[in-house]
Amino acid sequence: MPKPSLQPRRALKSTIALTLLLSIALGAVTAASAATLTVTFTGLKTLTGSVMMSLSASPEAWDGKAPPTDRRKIPADAAAVTATFADLKPGTYAVRAFHDIDGDGKLNTNPFGMPTEPYAFSNNAHGSMGPASWGDAVFTVTDGDNRQTIDID
Amino acid sequence: MTNALSRRDLMIRLSAVAACALVPPEIAQAAGQLAVGAALGVDWGLAFADRDGDLAPAPMRLLSGACPEGLSGALYRNGPGKFRRPGGSATHWFDGDGLVRAFRVAGGKASLSARFVDTAKRRADTAAGAVVTPGFGTAARPGAKVTNNDDTNAANISMLALRGEKGANGKGGGALWALWEAGSPIGVDPADLSTVGVKTLRPDLAHMPFLAHPRVEPDGEIWSLGVLGDKALVWRLGPDGALISAEVIELPCASYVHDFTATERHLILVLQPLLQEKAALPYIDGFVWKPTQSTRILVLDKADLGDRRIYELPAMFAFHFGDAWADPDGTIHFDACVSDDPTFATRNARQVLNGDWTPLPPPRLALITLTPDRRARIERTDTVAEFPRTDPRHAGWPRAFTVHATKDGGSPLFHGLATHNWKTGASDAFDFGGAHLVEEAVFVPRPGGGGELDGWLLAPSVNLAAKATELHVFDATRVAAGPLASWRAEVALPVSLHGTWVQG
Repeated sequence: MPKPSLQPRRALKSTIALTLLLSIALGAVTAASAATLTVTFTGLKTLTGSVMMSLSASPEAWDGKAPPTDRRKIPADAAAVTATFADLKPGTYAVRAFHDIDGDGKLNTNPFGMPTEPYAFSNNAHGSMGPASWGDAVFTVTDGDNRQTIDID
Repeated sequence: MTNALSRRDLMIRLSAVAACALVPPEIAQAAGQLAVGAALGVDWGLAFADRDGDLAPAPMRLLSGACPEGLSGALYRNGPGKFRRPGGSATHWFDGDGLVRAFRVAGGKASLSARFVDTAKRRADTAAGAVVTPGFGTAARPGAKVTNNDDTNAANISMLALRGEKGANGKGGGALWALWEAGSPIGVDPADLSTVGVKTLRPDLAHMPFLAHPRVEPDGEIWSLGVLGDKALVWRLGPDGALISAEVIELPCASYVHDFTATERHLILVLQPLLQEKAALPYIDGFVWKPTQSTRILVLDKADLGDRRIYELPAMFAFHFGDAWADPDGTIHFDACVSDDPTFATRNARQVLNGDWTPLPPPRLALITLTPDRRARIERTDTVAEFPRTDPRHAGWPRAFTVHATKDGGSPLFHGLATHNWKTGASDAFDFGGAHLVEEAVFVPRPGGGGELDGWLLAPSVNLAAKATELHVFDATRVAAGPLASWRAEVALPVSLHGTWVQG
């Protein structure tokens, strides 16, 4: 990682990478409930490695200050791949993910700290010079079946 | 329309009325033509108009002269060609979609075709019906999708021709890259100008910046830079575009870098005091001009990038430099097209999209010399100059001549072209007058020739009176004699920035 500097663009890019990594590396805390969430990642162009995702239930978890609700490693073996979360507590959630094309478990970055593997957020939200905000990525999970489709490549 | 444009229209109309009222009809007619010519000198909006689609190959009409024997090949050029969309437009000239043009000369005839580079930015902006993607001088609009630099890549500055039988795109007949400066090269098929795709030179170097002004050695080896803040990636590629090495170096300051230069042995980075102080969109808004700070010139040994020297000059701003050369004692020389400050980039290049232009001192030709005792000096001439080019067969070697655009006044850009002889100080110039905006002139070696300037200069112009793009060929040793041949297209394409010649 480049050192923090007067070039926030680079710092922010590093932050994207770091936050994604932290979110996915940190353990999962699950809550019992009756809701089910199906997350589908579409548009995969390179069918190698895995889609690494984390599910957050609070702005704190989204910002890496608290553990995510769950995390998954989904084999990237089709143009669209799916993860299902059963027994979720109804409420607000957000997803961040990257396609770990080379399967090394890390979001690769170029020498200037910019991700070189695809990444995405729920609602297909986009950040401005950094990760999407909780406010843009948040969606509501209610009792019963819930679906979220994210275009990742 | 801006107020400035309205005022100008009004003045043109008033001058026409006055001419009709006060003079006999014949003189009025002549005066009217003059007035039209004068007005056209400032009615330059055509050069920054939108091109709404590709241009299928079409013959150009020979206006005068004859195509010189032996001139055969293609001049590939690039420049922004689409700025305005219903939901919001680019607010800076440098943020238009890259439009690749091919001026092909064969059998004494010329043709013109043009095709937009199929970038992620162009696709996103087209789908949104608005220029939503941020750029050099244009802010993001809602709906912008920016996950990496190549999502903002306009591919709109220059073209690089690769050598080799197959070319790096894997297609026959060589390969072309459309270059921006803050993202990857984008491959373009030389035959039909279709987009081959974003060029990733190594997976871990995806989306790294690659300057639009690579330095190509006479044997074809390519050097370029990717700059972010106070770091630069030094790219070294083979003649076919294959990666040889990529090394990150530290810079002494976070300067805006558009171009650099090189001798046979050294890379030379001119770090002007236009310094990045924050990340901002538009990109240029993060830079601050510090006229009290020096220009630092970093010289790196190509064989050992850790072997560096730093020189200092007073604050100056230049977009472009000529190829550098070294004397036997190690003294380095190179030319620069120098302005006192970056006002063109920060103000006028925005205004031109609105038909507005604030008179500005033009860039002038200067020679920068770096001596072995670590002193730098700059010798400024009075010659108006931009878009410097040199004979590619002598890149990095001692030379006398620089080719450049020249003759300013009343409008953006330039009305003529010239060669400058650094040994004698002589300038050999031709002025098309105010009705032409003359683009960068590219030197084309005469097949079988060898001497410096033994060949032709190819320069397009936007003829504002005829509302058409033209192509002019000059004997490079007799520029003042005027074009050997001029051709005219049926259409006017927006003015382009930089190009490269591929021998046919």
